[in-house]
Amino acid sequence: MPNAPDGFDYDAALHACAQGDQRALQRLYEQDGRHLLGVALRIVRRRDVAEDVLHDAFVSIWQKAASFDPQRGAARGWIFTVVRHQALNTLRSREREVYAEADTLDALQEDRTDTVAEQFELQASMGRLNDCLGHLDSAKRNSIVCAYVDGCSHSEIATRLNAPLGTVKAWLKRGLAALRECMG
Amino acid sequence: MNESLEELQRLAGEYVLGTLPLAARLQVERRMQDEPLLRAEVDAWERRLLPLTALAAPVEPSPKLWPRIAGNLRPQAVTDAGGWRRWWGDLRLWRALAGLALAATLVLANMLLLRPDAAQPAYMVVLVSPQQRNAGYVVQASLNNQLTLTPLEGTPVPRQKSLQFWTKGKDWSKPESLGLVTPNQPLKVALGKLPQVEAGQLFEITLEPEAGSPTGRPTGPILYIGRAVKVM
Repeated sequence: MPNAPDGFDYDAALHACAQGDQRALQRLYEQDGRHLLGVALRIVRRRDVAEDVLHDAFVSIWQKAASFDPQRGAARGWIFTVVRHQALNTLRSREREVYAEADTLDALQEDRTDTVAEQFELQASMGRLNDCLGHLDSAKRNSIVCAYVDGCSHSEIATRLNAPLGTVKAWLKRGLAALRECMG
Repeated sequence: MNESLEELQRLAGEYVLGTLPLAARLQVERRMQDEPLLRAEVDAWERRLLPLTALAAPVEPSPKLWPRIAGNLRPQAVTDAGGWRRWWGDLRLWRALAGLALAATLVLANMLLLRPDAAQPAYMVVLVSPQQRNAGYVVQASLNNQLTLTPLEGTPVPRQKSLQFWTKGKDWSKPESLGLVTPNQPLKVALGKLPQVEAGQLFEITLEPEAGSPTGRPTGPILYIGRAVKVM
């Protein structure tokens, strides 16, 4: 998540949404719509589908604003979470279609396979997560980044990293356990 | 389900990571509603991994997207995160419907008593509490810009607080105050310079400081809310 710019008050905006103030939702959209569309697009991989995801996520943010619980995490993080899970549910429910478009998928993979790790290195702003991911070996790290950022399933990670499915599952299991231990 | 803490943590991690198939994802989302431990593990994973969203380059949404979103927002009172099925099984829905039936009866009775106005179109609003969805007030509006607010249930008001009545038309920039409401008593309001009530116009009652909202806009929680429906 990019650093929260210019002191935008996410809690106040969500509170105003819960009170029925549509302009508060619009302010959130103007503040982070492009970042959120970026997150959705990486996962669902199609521009029109990503915009549908953002649409549904914002309607959902509007509906759930009143139930947002600041005890459970920061408001901005919650908004990113809603968009990401909307994208993931969309991707997983479209999976058969995606397989039918295998050519597109192959093209995407060629674009990306080698760039995941490079992109990761470019990011110095991820703080503790950056350090802890840095302690993982590259197979585990790439599996985690591929899953989180690009919505890769187990079998997709296996294809991209050219590893057996069982190995990928073990990488993720051990990678998550190590991250959990490292980050607390 | 006999599930160790370690399995629960891994399930939460893979849910947030996104690798679970759809059915398993939806099951986690359902379980989170009732299982605080699973919810806490998911929240912790969301916090840990969130910085990775910075790896996705920003993409400018098309100009058509926001108007599409804005056109699909429903007023807060009738929205519900739980979906239709939970509505259906929720006793409060049926209480609300009973309240609506009562409200409709009151409105019809009033109309019969007020025959001279019967030729004019009128609007009715049932104000419903956003949390419990029980009907709390009925608003009737006539074409001569008179509003009547009739309580359907007792509303306890904390000390040093007041109920304030608001309305907002579709194209208005902000809600307009219709004044303070004495709990459990009917209120008649002349709309004065405000435009004629239109279908879909929003009405709400909020909890405000004793002297009313200091800002001229609603500041406190919405106790009751509803939209105008044409009844004649």
